[in-house]
Amino acid sequence: MTTPHSSHWLQPAFDDPVLDAQVSFRAALGALAEPGLPRAMDRAHALGDLAPATYGLCLAFLDSDTPLWLAPRFDTPLIRANLAFHCGCPIVAEREIALFALLDEGELSDLSDFDNGSERYPDQSCTLLIQLDDLRAGIPLRWRGPGIKDVRGVNLPLPASFWQQRQARSAFPRGLDCFFAAAGEVIGLPRSTRVLIETEEAA
Amino acid sequence: MNETDPNIAARQRWMGVLARAGSALDPHEAALKDSAYQLIRSPEVGMTLVRGRMGGTGSAFNLGEMTVTRCVVRLADGRTGYSYLAGRDKRRAELAALADAHLQGSDQARWLDDLIEPLAREQREQRLNRAARTATTQVEFFTLVRGED
Repeated sequence: MTTPHSSHWLQPAFDDPVLDAQVSFRAALGALAEPGLPRAMDRAHALGDLAPATYGLCLAFLDSDTPLWLAPRFDTPLIRANLAFHCGCPIVAEREIALFALLDEGELSDLSDFDNGSERYPDQSCTLLIQLDDLRAGIPLRWRGPGIKDVRGVNLPLPASFWQQRQARSAFPRGLDCFFAAAGEVIGLPRSTRVLIETEEAA
Repeated sequence: MNETDPNIAARQRWMGVLARAGSALDPHEAALKDSAYQLIRSPEVGMTLVRGRMGGTGSAFNLGEMTVTRCVVRLADGRTGYSYLAGRDKRRAELAALADAHLQGSDQARWLDDLIEPLAREQREQRLNRAARTATTQVEFFTLVRGED
């Protein structure tokens, strides 16, 4: 009975599983409906390297029907055990079959293998959950598109290679939807948003 | 680890005893809650699908859904205890999970003697009593050979 077991790593997730999951899911929907507007996502506790907002997204989105791809930084016994316990999601090694991917800023220069859906089922694309250190420390970006009245200024600190990758994987209605999470906040970036870096149109 | 692991068989047995214990857990509440613990999954009520088989070779069918309450606790030393109970009694689900956690520790023998064995004995007696009561109502049918074979 003393064999080390993954249950050793388990931690509590939401304090109020039903209400907190509903509030977090609603916040995530709101984040996609109004791209670029930070939303509070602070119902979960931090889990190892996962910020409260990132873990909250995981707890709200993932279940046994959503294969997850983990960036190496998040592929720890602690995170694996807790996601398996609280979400029950399969963790896959192949990016192609993942419906969700948990990324950090180091993984953003290559998004080529994630599924961006098909013409018939664009909704079956992979959703990227991207954890950043800060949501406001980058160069000014101007976002346009559905959910934004005219133009919205966003300062996400992202490398230029991310915008190139996003552009390369975008062929509306196919494309990748992203959530950016830091500390207790989340920003949504659906595939329909056009992002302008300064005056040049990037996506 | 597989299904024949004696540790797993022992744990299955005590989890089964705890699941059937019902109100018999209540007198042990103080002892079970004596040490510090944390709720990893606070007691929650849900449904589970019960499947059955008709006869030894029949294929599985869905018998129906039943209410279960489950709970996971962790003691201060990191041991986790799980419980699944029929019904919707959250307090007893927590007690059963605590008992499962204590039973995996160094005090296993004491907990087995104090908690599991008396409960198992009591449950066995209840089962035998019920079986004895039912046995008196048994009707044996005889069929006369009709000579068709």
